[in-house]
Amino acid sequence: MKPSTNADQLFKKVLGQTALLTGLIASVGSVAGYFVEGANGVVSALIGSALAFVFGALTVISMLVGRRLSLAGFFGVVMGGWLVKLIGFALLARALQGAEFINGPVLFLTLVAAILGSLVIDSIAVLSARIPVVEA
Amino acid sequence: MDITNVAELTGNIAVVGYGLAAIGPGIGVGLVVSKTIESIARQPELASKLQVTMWLGIAFTEALALIGLATPFIFA
Repeated sequence: MKPSTNADQLFKKVLGQTALLTGLIASVGSVAGYFVEGANGVVSALIGSALAFVFGALTVISMLVGRRLSLAGFFGVVMGGWLVKLIGFALLARALQGAEFINGPVLFLTLVAAILGSLVIDSIAVLSARIPVVEA
Repeated sequence: MDITNVAELTGNIAVVGYGLAAIGPGIGVGLVVSKTIESIARQPELASKLQVTMWLGIAFTEALALIGLATPFIFA
């Protein structure tokens, strides 16, 4: 695979690869979840992987958007996005907790698998990138 | 004098747990961002490379926060 030669290209590549990986984890998790608790397991696996994707993707999107702004704007977008994302996730977790259609361990395990997988993708993408010191 | 109840706390202890779990990522992201700002101020021409490195640092620290938020699903 060709290494990324600028930051925008890197972020777009990571976004695509993370989407593929979370899709794969959602499918594997759904099958495993089905054997654990039927339809509830499938729903939990889908929610878990979707949450992990949205969480990771929002950071990448905030970087993509923030890079076009000034330094203060960049940090405002990235940190603001981070804060809003965490508050949103906490509220969502509170709403889902105790729901009858959720299997906690399936949701947790797919979420953790998707997060760890996306971290591997991020690391490989950054390590293999060849970003020049001064971009054209 | 018969004192049976001096003080009482009500609520969910998981909230305290999440508060503790947020300390680490909070400090981590703060350090990553502050060092990136310092570095960009010193060498603005390296901004692109530093932003990418910063993003990787944020991704790792926020993973911890996300896992911390999701723990009630298995430990509840």
